[in-house]
Amino acid sequence: MLSDARTRSIVIQCALVAAVIGTATLLVNTTFANLQTRGIPIGFDFLTTPSRIVISEAILSYKSRDPYYWAIVVGLANTVFISALVIVFSSVLGLIVGVTRLSSNPLAAGTCRVWVEIARNSPPIVLLIFLYSLWWKVLPPVGEALNPIPGVFASMRGVMVPSVHIDMETAGVALIFLAGLLLLVARTAGALRRFRSRLSWAAAAVLLLGLWVADAGFWTDWPVFAGSNFQGGLELTPELSTILIGLTLYTTGFIAEIVRGGVLSVGPGQWDAGRSVGLSRTQILRLIVIPQMLRVIVPPLNSQYINVVKNSTLAIAVGYPDFLAVMNTIISKSSHSIEGVFIILGVYLALNLTLSSAANWYNRRIAIVER
Amino acid sequence: MPVQTWSAPLLASLRRTIGLLFGSPLNATLTLAFGAMLTVALPPMLRWLVLDAVLFNPDPAACRAASGACWSFIYAKSGQLLFGIYPVEERWRPALVCLMILALLGWSVRPASWTLRLLRLWIGALALIAWLMGGGLGLGEVPTSAWGGLPVTLILTVVAIGIAFPAGILLALGRRSTMPAVRIAAVIAIESVRGLPLLSILFVASIMLPLFLPEALLPDKFVRALVALTIFAAAYLAEVVRGGLQAIPKGQYEAAAALGLPFWRTQYLVILPQAIRVVIPALANTIIVMIKNTSLVLVVGLFDLISSGKAALADPAWPSPAAETFLFIGAIFFALSFSFARFADFLERRGPAAR
Repeated sequence: MLSDARTRSIVIQCALVAAVIGTATLLVNTTFANLQTRGIPIGFDFLTTPSRIVISEAILSYKSRDPYYWAIVVGLANTVFISALVIVFSSVLGLIVGVTRLSSNPLAAGTCRVWVEIARNSPPIVLLIFLYSLWWKVLPPVGEALNPIPGVFASMRGVMVPSVHIDMETAGVALIFLAGLLLLVARTAGALRRFRSRLSWAAAAVLLLGLWVADAGFWTDWPVFAGSNFQGGLELTPELSTILIGLTLYTTGFIAEIVRGGVLSVGPGQWDAGRSVGLSRTQILRLIVIPQMLRVIVPPLNSQYINVVKNSTLAIAVGYPDFLAVMNTIISKSSHSIEGVFIILGVYLALNLTLSSAANWYNRRIAIVER
Repeated sequence: MPVQTWSAPLLASLRRTIGLLFGSPLNATLTLAFGAMLTVALPPMLRWLVLDAVLFNPDPAACRAASGACWSFIYAKSGQLLFGIYPVEERWRPALVCLMILALLGWSVRPASWTLRLLRLWIGALALIAWLMGGGLGLGEVPTSAWGGLPVTLILTVVAIGIAFPAGILLALGRRSTMPAVRIAAVIAIESVRGLPLLSILFVASIMLPLFLPEALLPDKFVRALVALTIFAAAYLAEVVRGGLQAIPKGQYEAAAALGLPFWRTQYLVILPQAIRVVIPALANTIIVMIKNTSLVLVVGLFDLISSGKAALADPAWPSPAAETFLFIGAIFFALSFSFARFADFLERRGPAAR
């Protein structure tokens, strides 16, 4: 009977399904038995009760009498904040380092190569702990803070940067105005098409600048040293700064290699072809080289971005409360471990799916359509 | 014809280097920018690393007095850094284990030794390692909670990959199966693991396993971390192997079918050897990722290299040179990963010849 391919396939599949269901039932039963003997209640009701956990720093405002669900949102916001900044910084740096690695200049290419090798071959957690241990050794006390760029100060207590404030009403009005403008421009005739994106960006910039100058609902706050500490601005603690710097240095190594591969994948013949039809260097770059390069680098870049989100969990190593660290505290405090684990799994899967579907959509737009 | 002297090739290469450094405006700018950066950064680094550092003087007071790095701490504490809280008088056992694993790894990377004998060698070695580390049969018993440092890192890497590799092959075959139930199960398993950070899987393993399993079956922390690492590695290796399977032309399957080979013999004799050869560079990359990943077990309270470093730093007699310690630990990981990366490059270059 088993020699018949169809019968065998049905038998194998039934056995697999039975094994999966059997294991699952066994696990669920043991779990409920364990929960009952330990007297642990189950359910998501606890989310609305006051958490009384401590979150040492957060992008959103948080007090320990806030409910559990808000603590989770605050942790998630920290994760998204770290990931977004690291993605932006390491993309820009990765582009520069990747292109410099291809330079004929041995000094520049060599330095970038050392960076890439160190990043690719050391565990990010060791890099983070190492950088964190350097913080107090390298940086001066608050009074003698380094000021590398106007408005940015680095000291033992962290990094101060100018902060941007926008009140909700102004933001709403500005968004509606911008949406209307975009719609208007998008509907205008084809002759305007090439200018439309630039035009709307310019309009947005003018709008923000106008709001800023008028000091209405949108303003920046620059850190100023006063007496014994900084006033104003946004404070990035040593923990947060270490994660941003460490993860950026680490991710840049990988993005640089992707960029290098992308540049190499566009053959020199493409440049020759561009020159032979009389295009300038920038035109060749913009019309021929970059579009072909994007096709090669977007999929691996996407997986690097997802890795950034995953690596942001290493924040726990230096004590920054990212989403996973907050969830870990919540689980040990509330003993709702099963619900907690489901929230962890759900949130990371949702984050990664969002990122990869955005990248897939972009990838489809730039991919070669064959036949 | 100009007279050739001994210095001619030297001068030519000097001229070439200068040309590369200053030949074009762009190169000159790059040279100046990077040169300035390095002159600012390198001298203080060099002073701290070597010139002002305490190298071998095993006296904490010398470290307190010096303005440079305190390497004598690493020197004095190397036993604790490398072997963690393993009983001091028994340290020869983990040391022997590390040497064995490194020697075996070195032996295993030679393509000439990829035979069934290697597999038997590894199984025998692992049994020996388990005995040496754990004790029993004449050796003093050491529970896994007292294992620490480099052997933990190496054992976790080797065992996790050793189990994950066949599991990954099964998952990859499952994902390409024509049976929908098998395919769906494999896709769900692979994608859900790949969508999660390893740290969350480690947490789930340490939080959930005590609830899932009856008390009697509950493995200790070491095994729980090993399970998490293995599951993680299997999902990633499955995708690598799938890439290899996709590269095999249909003709190979048809040829095997024409010979009347059944499914498993087709896979074992015809498909897998070719598929794995195609993806050797990607496999090496995954292994590097795994070596680096073992550093995460510190978060679930296992005594790997980082935690034994932290424990060593807690000694109040010394001035707690954290940067030096983590630099040392980073260097160990770097040496392991970098040599593997170079090996991958070597395999990639000899790729066509391997076919």
